[in-house]
Amino acid sequence: MAYIAPKDFSQDPELLATVMRVMGGDLDLSWMKDHPHPIRAHASQPARGLTLDDINRDPAYGPASIPEIVRHNFSMAPRGAVLPEGLPSLGYRVNRKSDVWADLGPALFEESKSRRWAPASTIPWAALDAAGYGREEDRAIRQLATGLISMCLVAADVPSRWVWLMNQEFHEIKYLQCAHMFDAARMAEAFRKRALYGHGALGRDSRELGDFLKMVIDSETYPLASAATNLTLYSFLQALGRRLEFVSRNAADTALMTRIVQDSTRPIAYGVDHIRSLLAERPNEAVALGEHLDLIENGLVGLLGSREWIEPLIVLSGGNVDAVAAFYRRSVDEYFARCARAGLDDRAARSPLPAFLNLIEGRC
Amino acid sequence: MGIPFPSLAFFQALQQRTKDDAAAFEKLGYCDTTFGVRVGDELFRVAFEVYECVEVAAGGNAAELDFVLSAPVALWREMLASIQAHGGADGAHTINTLTHVGDVMKVEYEDPEGHDRFYRFMATIQAFFDEARTLDLELD
Repeated sequence: MAYIAPKDFSQDPELLATVMRVMGGDLDLSWMKDHPHPIRAHASQPARGLTLDDINRDPAYGPASIPEIVRHNFSMAPRGAVLPEGLPSLGYRVNRKSDVWADLGPALFEESKSRRWAPASTIPWAALDAAGYGREEDRAIRQLATGLISMCLVAADVPSRWVWLMNQEFHEIKYLQCAHMFDAARMAEAFRKRALYGHGALGRDSRELGDFLKMVIDSETYPLASAATNLTLYSFLQALGRRLEFVSRNAADTALMTRIVQDSTRPIAYGVDHIRSLLAERPNEAVALGEHLDLIENGLVGLLGSREWIEPLIVLSGGNVDAVAAFYRRSVDEYFARCARAGLDDRAARSPLPAFLNLIEGRC
Repeated sequence: MGIPFPSLAFFQALQQRTKDDAAAFEKLGYCDTTFGVRVGDELFRVAFEVYECVEVAAGGNAAELDFVLSAPVALWREMLASIQAHGGADGAHTINTLTHVGDVMKVEYEDPEGHDRFYRFMATIQAFFDEARTLDLELD
């Protein structure tokens, strides 16, 4: 059922009469008298161009004008516009600034567009014709690429579940969510091309990966989804990109994984800043975030321990299980450091990840 | 007479390359970070803003930098030799590869957000070092 406006505009005599008066030269121009707060908006750095932060400097238009709880605007009207009476509500459900805001958000959006690349042309795919891997290593990379496609598609799905529920007053964060969707879609595209290039084939999907991703995507609130996606999921996507660049033996994988690393780090930067800002405003949210990450990290243990994930990593490490355990340890340590920077400094003490690491290190 | 390494002149030459090869760096996108390069006991400060390297300096306070790439002189020379031999770092000598395990080249940092700037701008930082392919260096 589509939305039905309260008026039948095509049959509204008042509207039609107004249009006829205007077309007859009777221009009212009352909207021209609406200059609520003109500002000077110029690029602060010509080389960078006119950025969102440049046009946000005036408190009347910038994020400083957003109240913690938005009650005055549920319409599509952009922040700072004059709001006539009778604007329809678009039904936004995420109306608390601290639920979404990160001061770094506008700059990360600009950075995402500036650091764009195209898998079709940026990656020298032909270098894979002499990729330098043995048969098993080649299968291992395609297996990991298969799982990474799923991971990136969910990384695209998560913001799509929330962006349309966010109040328009948070437009910079909505823009950033769209950028995250595009970035994640580009990574999924790139991994699909990596899995299939040449005489390739997709590998096997993983139930544990599916469970982990379902936990992430089913996060019940936006802050929980942000923590699960931007802190947890992207930390391990970034780590895997770094690992695959490390084992790369050709220019295509080196170029691809370098881009994966940088594209997966922007959501991390947003996630750290977002969760830190949220906890500064509402410290009690740490309880729900902590409990949610307990579950998410439990799912992550399943993923990291699954055959479809750990075995290709061992193959790509020349059979060196110690090297994979050490890689997991470094990745988890860096993830915990990000959580602590975000204000969740008890992860190492309550997470199931350390016990898992101890287990695999003991067996190595 | 080549440019000695390590030296401030080397980093000044790389800085100039980000201006001379501006199109390549603009294509990689914004890069906003101030990081350190520790060559043996010597620390060099490198600042990027928008697309180009805007400052290089010898010395400085590592605690004020986003991160510091730290390795013995011999490793840096080996990396630069690879860049000059291949027109850019080969797979064994990229900045990510050298830092990945942490026992070859170290990434020193105090703030995880500063550390993550290394990863956010990795392609630009690699391109910065790869510009050494154009320089006449004294690596011995």
